[in-house]
Amino acid sequence: MDQVFEGTPAADISLDGRRVTRGDVTNDWGSKIQWVVKKDDKVVATVAARAEASYEHPDETPGKYEIVLQQFKYVNFKKDGKGPDSNYTESKFVDISVPVSYSI
Amino acid sequence: MLHIGNERVPDCSGLNRRSFLQAGAAGIGGLTLPGLMELQAYGAVDYSKAKIRNCITIFLVGSPGHLDTFDMKPEAPEDIRGRFKPIQSNVEGADICEHFPMLAQRMDKIALIRSLHHKTGTAHSNGSRWMMTGKDAIGDNQQPHVGSVVSRVFGPNSNLPPSIILPGKIGNTGGPSINGQEARYLGSGYEPFFLGSDPGRSDFKVANLTPAQGQTNFRISARKNLLQQVDDLQRRTETNSTLERDTAYARAFNLLTSSEAKSAFDLNQEEDKLRDRYGRNTLGQSCLMARRLVERGTRYVTINHFDTVFNIACWDMHSNGGSLNNTYKDYEYMLCPQLDQAFTGLIDDLEDRGLLEETVVAVLSEFGRTPKINGSGGRDHYPPAWSNFLCGGSIKGGQVIGSTDRIGAAPHDRPITPPQVIASIYKGMGIDLETTMMPGPGSRPIRLIDAEPIPELFS
Repeated sequence: MDQVFEGTPAADISLDGRRVTRGDVTNDWGSKIQWVVKKDDKVVATVAARAEASYEHPDETPGKYEIVLQQFKYVNFKKDGKGPDSNYTESKFVDISVPVSYSI
Repeated sequence: MLHIGNERVPDCSGLNRRSFLQAGAAGIGGLTLPGLMELQAYGAVDYSKAKIRNCITIFLVGSPGHLDTFDMKPEAPEDIRGRFKPIQSNVEGADICEHFPMLAQRMDKIALIRSLHHKTGTAHSNGSRWMMTGKDAIGDNQQPHVGSVVSRVFGPNSNLPPSIILPGKIGNTGGPSINGQEARYLGSGYEPFFLGSDPGRSDFKVANLTPAQGQTNFRISARKNLLQQVDDLQRRTETNSTLERDTAYARAFNLLTSSEAKSAFDLNQEEDKLRDRYGRNTLGQSCLMARRLVERGTRYVTINHFDTVFNIACWDMHSNGGSLNNTYKDYEYMLCPQLDQAFTGLIDDLEDRGLLEETVVAVLSEFGRTPKINGSGGRDHYPPAWSNFLCGGSIKGGQVIGSTDRIGAAPHDRPITPPQVIASIYKGMGIDLETTMMPGPGSRPIRLIDAEPIPELFS
């Protein structure tokens, strides 16, 4: 039997200065969760978020920063090729929080 | 005296081990081994005096690469060490993969064995048989599942089956589908109960506990009564042979009609927060169900993390672009996080409830994966070396047993075989292997396992 991820995971996140902190994930699928950091609408970092509940992005160069918590949603194992650099065609990371933002 | 676990338990004849052997071979005072077992089945042995412990095994079907998980070689060449990095655990020398952050903080509870190996071929089913039975056998010499042995020797502890396999039986793994998950010569009364349904799904129902449409408890009971009358008639002409079938029928009816059994399988009785802690997926919810089952009397729970290796994300990381196209991404995004969360959720929960000290938890697999990464960026089957781990019961945590050479190709010291692990599980459950026997083929008493426990696990 293949796995089916049901329901919608969600987590509250809050911002204190540049430090973002998450609460518990509800309906947690148990797959990888990660912070995705965008600077001026461009992804500049993805950081594992399971072990530590908070994260402070080290970049202090001027710009608008947006951070959101994501979780991997498994649909199936299909990929666009073979090898470790192939990508999933249907499974993907999805947002599980509302984004927070700050400007420097 | 007979021994049930570590307790010396009186039986009707005061047999010692030697006389127990003789009883099985020739009978003493008319009391044969089947007779003894029948007495146990009918309550002649006081189970309340036995300190029998439980076991939950998580079987990682497909087998993780040891060099990518629990035996990392960061100093090895790139095509050996792989893509992941080790992280420091809370036990010196027990660094593990970066994608097990919660497990790394609980290594003080875990005994990690890094020198497992077997020599009987690279098919998944070879490794499954070793780890499910403690023995390798083919053809007509199939051996019973460890859970069936525990069921046969110790009997039921409640209305629940003594041995349950979640969520389903291992099916197609590419070779012979003989994975050591049956009772075999022990008989149908000791077959594990297969859940056959995914507890991670919202529409989860135990297939074997759901009466057919139109069946009520009254009709089920009426059928049971009728069957009992037929059995009574048959028992007048058959004697010992009916016991096994009686046991199987009785368990089936108990399951169908017992509110206790139905409650045990109802995960909706758990708080959402705890269900989330285990992970809302097949493995996580199976681990939570395992805790509920041992809490209510099941002695041996086997959780298969996947029932096949084809066309799903599983540990069988060949990365071949076809039906076995598992890659590092499957490990990083799903498999490692699921195991990390489900396993640590389980041992935390067991500990919170005071159950960890009476429950062995073992994470097992068929083999390791090739030290050298293959041409597609994956790793293939590799029985000469792998890592598994145990905790709980009387297992001493916070240690690494054995090691492999500098590229993880072979045990460097303290080579360990699967039967030693199974012997250790028995001992960890409180079973004295010197005094506890089981009926072999033809009811001849035999040892539970032809190996000694790993002494370091208990020192």
